Amino acid sequence: MMTTAFASAAIAAAPPPNATPEQKSWWAFQPLRSSPALPAVKRSAAVRTPVDRFVLARQEAQGLTLLPPADKATLLRRVSFDLIGLPPSPADIDAFTRDPSPQAFNEVIERLLASPRYGERWGRHWMDVVRYADTAGDNADYPVPEAYRYRDYIIDAFNRDKPYDVFIREQLAGDILAAEGPRERYAEQVVATGFLALSRRYATAPFELMHLTIEDAIETTGRAFLGLSLRCARCHDHKFDPVTARDYYGLYGFFASTRFPYAGSEEFQSKNLPRTGFLPLVPPTESARPIEENRKRLESLRAQLEGLEKESAKGKTKGALKSEIEGQLVSLRRELKRRERSGALPDLPVAYAVADDKPTDQAVHIKGDPAQLGDVAPRCLPAFLSGQPGLSLKPGSSGRRELASWIASPDNPLTARVMANRVWHYHFGRGLAASPSNLGLRGETPTHPELLDYLAGYLIDHGWSVKSLHRLILNSATWRQQARGAQSQSESAARLLVGFERQRLDAESIRDAMMTTAGTLDLAPPEAHPFPPIEDWHWTQHNPFKVVYESSHRSVYLMRQRLQRHPYLSLFDAPDANMSTDVRTRATVPQQALYLMNNPFVRTQAAAFADRVINAGSTDEARISEAVALAWSRRPGLAEEKGITAYLRRYEAQARKEGVGEQEATKRAWESEARVLMTASEFFYLD
Amino acid sequence: MPHPAHSIIENPREAVAPLSRRAFLRRTSAGLLTGGLSLHAALRSAAAQGGAQVLAPSPSHSPARARRLLFVFLTGGFSHVDTFDYKPRLQALHGQRIPAFGLRADETRQQPLLGSPFEFQRCGRSGLWISDLFPRLQGLADDLCVIRSLHTDIVEHFQATLAMHTGSSTVPMPSIGSWLSHGLGTMNPNLPPYVVMAEHLPYAGAQVFDSNFLPPQHQGVRIIPGEDPIPNLRPPEEPSSLAELERRMLENVNEAHARRRPADLNLAARMGSFEIARGMMREAPSVFDLAGESPRTLEAYGVNPGDKTSFAWQCLMARRLVERGVRVVELIDTGSHDNWDSHGDMQAHRPKAARVDRALAAMLGDLKARGLLDDTLVAICTEFGRTPWTDASNGKGRNHFAKAFTCLLAGGGARGGVTHGETDEFGASIVKNPVHVHDYHATLLHLMGLDHTRLTYRYAGRDFRLTDVSGEVIRDILA
Repeated sequence: MMTTAFASAAIAAAPPPNATPEQKSWWAFQPLRSSPALPAVKRSAAVRTPVDRFVLARQEAQGLTLLPPADKATLLRRVSFDLIGLPPSPADIDAFTRDPSPQAFNEVIERLLASPRYGERWGRHWMDVVRYADTAGDNADYPVPEAYRYRDYIIDAFNRDKPYDVFIREQLAGDILAAEGPRERYAEQVVATGFLALSRRYATAPFELMHLTIEDAIETTGRAFLGLSLRCARCHDHKFDPVTARDYYGLYGFFASTRFPYAGSEEFQSKNLPRTGFLPLVPPTESARPIEENRKRLESLRAQLEGLEKESAKGKTKGALKSEIEGQLVSLRRELKRRERSGALPDLPVAYAVADDKPTDQAVHIKGDPAQLGDVAPRCLPAFLSGQPGLSLKPGSSGRRELASWIASPDNPLTARVMANRVWHYHFGRGLAASPSNLGLRGETPTHPELLDYLAGYLIDHGWSVKSLHRLILNSATWRQQARGAQSQSESAARLLVGFERQRLDAESIRDAMMTTAGTLDLAPPEAHPFPPIEDWHWTQHNPFKVVYESSHRSVYLMRQRLQRHPYLSLFDAPDANMSTDVRTRATVPQQALYLMNNPFVRTQAAAFADRVINAGSTDEARISEAVALAWSRRPGLAEEKGITAYLRRYEAQARKEGVGEQEATKRAWESEARVLMTASEFFYLD
Repeated sequence: MPHPAHSIIENPREAVAPLSRRAFLRRTSAGLLTGGLSLHAALRSAAAQGGAQVLAPSPSHSPARARRLLFVFLTGGFSHVDTFDYKPRLQALHGQRIPAFGLRADETRQQPLLGSPFEFQRCGRSGLWISDLFPRLQGLADDLCVIRSLHTDIVEHFQATLAMHTGSSTVPMPSIGSWLSHGLGTMNPNLPPYVVMAEHLPYAGAQVFDSNFLPPQHQGVRIIPGEDPIPNLRPPEEPSSLAELERRMLENVNEAHARRRPADLNLAARMGSFEIARGMMREAPSVFDLAGESPRTLEAYGVNPGDKTSFAWQCLMARRLVERGVRVVELIDTGSHDNWDSHGDMQAHRPKAARVDRALAAMLGDLKARGLLDDTLVAICTEFGRTPWTDASNGKGRNHFAKAFTCLLAGGGARGGVTHGETDEFGASIVKNPVHVHDYHATLLHLMGLDHTRLTYRYAGRDFRLTDVSGEVIRDILA
């Protein structure tokens, strides 16, 4: 496409990044305050960690103060869901509530942080941010059976407390790092680039509307790591943040120099195109042989098929021989299809990952239109934010490594602030800045900027350890406060962190907690998703891939599609996997109540829960105590126990009136009580 | 208090299906009046039971002309100059280059004008110009109020779709349906006050019907056209006496829990959601059962036997829902893909128009025949218009355009057979009576009996409203 003379002039005439005074003085673009002074507070006895000083100082200025700590059972339930997304066991509840040691809570935190369940919980948060899905998002929404490796990489990274800066580098440039060794980290680093590979695909042809796929890569990189929305700059200089269209296309070049995998789309079916760009989990030296073997196998398959087809066409064979040949033909054709469609690597474990392609610089798309090209914008970092007009790149490389280094640097004013704020958001239900993926001029300003800087500095100083931030925050008096009551139900009390904000469990926690309560949750690592074999793939935009797989594993492992939202997960506000999500909505809608009252899943879990409780003791008292502890993470009070006993009796009597036998009536009564416990507000909310 | 005293209800006399006395007393005795259901709804259902008026209308307000809103959103930006804003000069000067603008203030690029490929006709006694994209709506010209001078702030789908629903282009805010639910409550407690029918989500997704900071019971409830429009509606088989015992136990447990945590609106809303859900279980199956519709009606809409997904089905459902007292029904015709966003060729408007024309016309006619159109306001809108010039050289499509676009109103106190506002000879700029999205919203609220400056909600220390700090009611179009 020709570039119009006018258009190039406009771009060439664009002034160098000329930030407005507002942009220049914007809090998030300022260097981190190195070790900000801890504020003095009047109630220093209430301080448990430095976090509390920042919080108390603001509160005291308004004549407010921290609420007292929550009771122990409440705290244990809160910290359990917070760190591992599951309720504590009755044994844990008793042990903790009876342990008088001041170290008891700290020990709980350490135990939970060391649990493999922790990565499943916090990895899921990250999966929101990186818009994780098991499908590509093209018009037929082709499945990506290998995507789960990236999911597991995330979970593992959190479990091992991978330094956050390393985590960033691997996701943006793991393929480049992998090539440099060490060998034992090769697979992991390649898999990490699933972050980019998962960029949304569009339409029907391979890489159709690639500029939008790259827009997704740029936008998700911006939101996830920098807390900036960059996509506006695709069509024009950002209206609010100091990011120009030129900056956008400077970033674009990194991804245009990158080879993305093709997982299938309508033309996979209609034009018989193979998948491409999946990366072996072993270095080229080791994958060369299997690739060559596959090539040979393909040749011999084709030859074999040709021979057999000729023979079959002659029509001379009869009876058993004929059907044997036909059977052979079917199986050979299927193998051929499988090998052709998989790309070059049907027998090698591969990752949905990216690799360096021919380096290229991108011409600006005038008004975001890829058909109207302006001047070339050499690959570069956003000029104002980086303070670097140019960038020296290793020849022959995409430059993603250099991009990653800039983002993952302790000098980048945004990166550590964004992550510290995100961690805070997941602990409290609201970030210090309430828009965790947008700290730019259209985002929310932080309520406690000094505290945020302190946390960001703390993260960097502790080797980018996310677990160290958890310890700092969870041990604070601020986090341990009891839930806000009527007296502090105001927006300003919330902003000043007076009291803990009651939280509804998220979709994953609700399902996992129900299954934990029922004793039906399978905590073993799950098998791969049961996608149909590749030789049977046939999806088109009119008949897209659309399926829901049942599973008894944790919800983080449920298969999630882009074009089709999971019916249960979306009902309870799990995010749309088409875009990065920082804050989930927490809607209360009647369809949720319908689900809880009528869906067979809830009833099945309640039945298992009832069985479990009946077997847990022989008296009502023992059973009720166990049931309440399992569902609500506390032992029942006396009046409560009486109330439940009375309900069981009443229900049994009524059931017998309805013609139910005596033993069955007891079982039914317990199933009903189990449903009540599992669908009650107390099950769904964390104080 | 969730509702500031000055967000006044203007039509207290309207019939409210009463909550059962038991349910109402239970709520008040549990001290949940301020949360479980909106204060207005509670007071009004109390009023309905006692026969008394609780809130007097403010003397400065006009009485409500419409009791229900049917909000039809055509996704992707339908072109004003190809539909309802006839521009013969555009035809005449087809191909001539003019300075294009609209995406950026400093834009001075020359682009060729694109005459509309569609024929326009004067329609009805009023003689409104409507293109042949809408042959059936042409027949209803005298019922349509065509506003040709809308404009919006940001020329991106996401932002403009958000604006058309929430008044805000950037930060998500409560949807107009949620504001109406908040301001007017429900006329049928067995159905949600705000129902959205959308097979696919539009740009900005579910944010467009979110209640945001308004209490969550005002959130739009999405019905997905198909086999199972509201999943989990059917109760398990068990004796009703046992189900009733269990319901009471759950309510007691939840009330006890909420009593220990007073003033938590979420807990109250959650309990309220169970009650609405039970109402839906009683009432919704009959809403979706078309057995009672005559073959003639089905034929008029274009609903074929077994059809549960077409836009025609959505339109018929919309009528059935407003008939049953749902306050706001929204119809979204397509999602964020494959919609009216015709960059490449305006002919792509044809299938989109064909999908909605007959059904919309049938719905309007049906509402009219049943006497419902008098107090049902139908708003047919989109997020922005399209450029009078082509998107690319030699192109046949049009780009996004925020400077001028067209939306329609019908029924509910809007004048029929009139146009309001004018654009220049190309449809490129507004020359008379500009109507900002805020003005459009102010007018919708006015027709529903609400003063947009007084329908406010205090949040984060500020009184928010649908129209932010502006908005003028379009007086000229009030019947």
